[in-house]
Amino acid sequence: MQSSNSRAKPRSEVLKIMEGLAQELYAQIERGEEPVLEIPSRTLSNTVWDEKRRIVVLGPEKLKRRLLDMKESKRFMQTILMLKLIVSSIREGVYPTIRDLYYNGKHTITFRVPNAGTIRENTWDDQAESNAAIEDLEVGLNVLREEMGLSADVKGKVVGPIIVRSKGFEIDATRMGDTALGLPPNPDELDIVKIEASYVLVVEKDAIFQRLNREGFWNKENAILITARGMPDRATRKFVRRLNEDYKLPIYVLTDSDPYGYYIYSVYKSGSIKLSYESERLATPNAKFIGVTTSDIINYKISSDYVIAANDRDIKRAEELIRYPWFRSEAWKKEINLFLKMKKKVEIEALSTHGLRFLHDYLLEKIHGGKWIE
Amino acid sequence: MATDVKFESLSPSEWFRRNKELAGFANPSRALYQAVRELIENALDATETFGIHPFIKAYMKYAERENWLSIYVEDNGIGIPKDEIPNVFGRVFYSSKYKVKQHRGIFGLGAKMVILYAQSTTNKPITVISAPLGSDKVYRFDIMIDTLHNDPLIKHQEEWDNKYKWHGTAVHVVMEGDWLKAKHRVEEYIKRVAMVAPYAEIHVKEPDGGVINIERVTLTLPTPPKEGLPHPKSIDIEVVKQLISRNGDSPLAEFLVDNFDGVGDETAINFLKSIGIDSSKSVKELSMDEVTHLVTKMREFNEWRRPRADWLSPVGAELLEQGIKKILEPEAVFATTRKPSSYSGNPFIVEAAIAWGGKIEPSDRPVIYRFANKVPLLYDEGNDVVRHVVDEVDWNLYKVKFPASLVVVVHICSTKIPYASAGKEAIADVPEIESEVRLAIREVARRLRVYLSRKEKEKEAMVRYAMFTMFSREVASSIASIIGLREDQVLNKLKKIISRKIKYLEAIEEVEDNAEQQQQGEA
Repeated sequence: MQSSNSRAKPRSEVLKIMEGLAQELYAQIERGEEPVLEIPSRTLSNTVWDEKRRIVVLGPEKLKRRLLDMKESKRFMQTILMLKLIVSSIREGVYPTIRDLYYNGKHTITFRVPNAGTIRENTWDDQAESNAAIEDLEVGLNVLREEMGLSADVKGKVVGPIIVRSKGFEIDATRMGDTALGLPPNPDELDIVKIEASYVLVVEKDAIFQRLNREGFWNKENAILITARGMPDRATRKFVRRLNEDYKLPIYVLTDSDPYGYYIYSVYKSGSIKLSYESERLATPNAKFIGVTTSDIINYKISSDYVIAANDRDIKRAEELIRYPWFRSEAWKKEINLFLKMKKKVEIEALSTHGLRFLHDYLLEKIHGGKWIE
Repeated sequence: MATDVKFESLSPSEWFRRNKELAGFANPSRALYQAVRELIENALDATETFGIHPFIKAYMKYAERENWLSIYVEDNGIGIPKDEIPNVFGRVFYSSKYKVKQHRGIFGLGAKMVILYAQSTTNKPITVISAPLGSDKVYRFDIMIDTLHNDPLIKHQEEWDNKYKWHGTAVHVVMEGDWLKAKHRVEEYIKRVAMVAPYAEIHVKEPDGGVINIERVTLTLPTPPKEGLPHPKSIDIEVVKQLISRNGDSPLAEFLVDNFDGVGDETAINFLKSIGIDSSKSVKELSMDEVTHLVTKMREFNEWRRPRADWLSPVGAELLEQGIKKILEPEAVFATTRKPSSYSGNPFIVEAAIAWGGKIEPSDRPVIYRFANKVPLLYDEGNDVVRHVVDEVDWNLYKVKFPASLVVVVHICSTKIPYASAGKEAIADVPEIESEVRLAIREVARRLRVYLSRKEKEKEAMVRYAMFTMFSREVASSIASIIGLREDQVLNKLKKIISRKIKYLEAIEEVEDNAEQQQQGEA
């Protein structure tokens, strides 16, 4: 694997890589060997914290998937069927969604057994199976699905001092009114024409994003405002990373004060466990967490009307977080331990405990006063 | 005692007439079922025991009055000599047998109870037609029983030339009976009898027009039982007294050797010495106390030879399997006949079979078919040793998961079946018998497990082949489409790789199988 390769491969190169896999398998078959796929294993045990690069990456474990092994045969078939589907979509110049591919490849295959009836098997039963086949190809070939030209739901939207070009049209994200610029499935295909921001503020919640947009926060602060409406999708993460890596913009993340919010921050920053193989193209190790933190509940004297008792799932989640290597900084250990001690959580909206304008004051104090943690 | 009590003497026939429920004639439906089975069992005893393939007709129809039924049962057996017919059918306890042998009849009373019941409900005589083997004549007697004197009353008698060289016995009786209530029992009985007698041909006509025709599936007959002597551990005072009265003045040692199984000259003398009775003393000189002492010690003494099993006639594993296959039509059946064993001086043999799948209805626990001396036991299963043993079996060990199509058949034959209750429909929990039943069932269950696991493996191998082939087809078509080849160019090469892999996997499994079997063998 090439390290820190965040440039998208062109589709023509992707096609060659995918055809190469088919040729390699055919070569195995011609030699009379049982077809075998070698794929890095995507398990928690093979998820490794890269201390130097400060991201979650896939470990060295590889699994050999064999066509003639009862436990693997079907997955093997699914992977190669998906390979064919994607290869033909590239050849035909179409950009199917991952759901298109699911329907496209779904059919029933049959086998008649003498005296025992007919065995029927669906190529895949639900989209989780076809998605897994795509993920296998991504890891196995080191090609992201965006590079294969696949579309998926993108939740990310952007507003602020940035001008991009898409299919020849220039779009100025300062001129969106109360709306925002929606990110495309592969944001690397956006040309950034001009960018004059001093930092990027990523907010967990769409409602807060809308509020800050309408209240002109980004204009006053000369900042780019981004949300992915909850857990970030790959396109949003990729875009955030690009703004940091290519344009050296500081990234600040604002979430609710609960383990779920903390984890969202860590996905922007270090990558997710499920998609650790993409971290090096998606993670932004420099992202900083400005809040809301558990200590904010005390420091900002948040009224008990806004404070919610943590439930068992929150506690369990926090106990998991504290074991992740990327939450081992002193500041984070302090925050999570405080959470486990107080068993209290708050939403971003709790900041209106001191009036509706207080959110702005809070953000300015955190960002300009250096009161963030990472 | 000084009280003046008048004792009324009761003939055996009268006693049985008054206590008919004891012999299974309690009500019209039970009586009908009992009559059919007594007559069919007599017919089987008169044929297979003498090497004749049974051919039995049992015709039932409604008779002249409501609730009256006419029953006609005919066999092709050895027949009864003319002079014996009235006594055989008309006198209760008419028998010269003081020897032991396995036979079907639960009370040994057979047709006599049928006659008593018939004449007490319809006041009609029984008709017996019989011709012994090689007889020139066929004889007919219409008989009733004089219950007061326990004597046969001959109502009518005739004979004619045996033109067709027929031999056998036919009995016709008119009695009260409830066919609708008895129907199910009778049919179940016939089905089960046929299960342990696949060499028999049985034709049944029912009063409402139903017909059951059971064809013979084999000409092999079980080895008939020999007649033998009782074992000293199995006797009681009454038997010994009867034997003494028939042995005049033989010396005691000779009496023991001649009349009992498992007693040699030396053993007899040692035994008598050990209990302090002179071995040359004549049997008729024994006092009542000495007889009691003798019998008690005979039962306690442990140096007799083990009882012989020559007087038993098991069905045999092969015949049992054939019978079960014919009646239940299972997918597979496994049967075994254990070696003879004994309890309290009575020899017995346990046979067991397991039938699996096919036309057997699935149920939540094993269905049990029980037999004692080839007679089906239909009732009181909950009290039977076989049910107890079957319930203790952990069927998971034998790869059986319920609901399952599983039938357990157990046949116990003995010169004396230890029944659990007066109904004589359940066998008691005698430890020796229980242990043999358990061993027999385990043995056939193990064979079932081998069968089921082989089947499982075959199915796995088939599924594996199917999966590999169908997934390979899909893979071949995908690869071919990507690199621009025809599907069969890839698939044909892939097929060779599949068959090589499958052979390889099968070879591995065979090695594992052998290792497993060896382990089980050692355990």
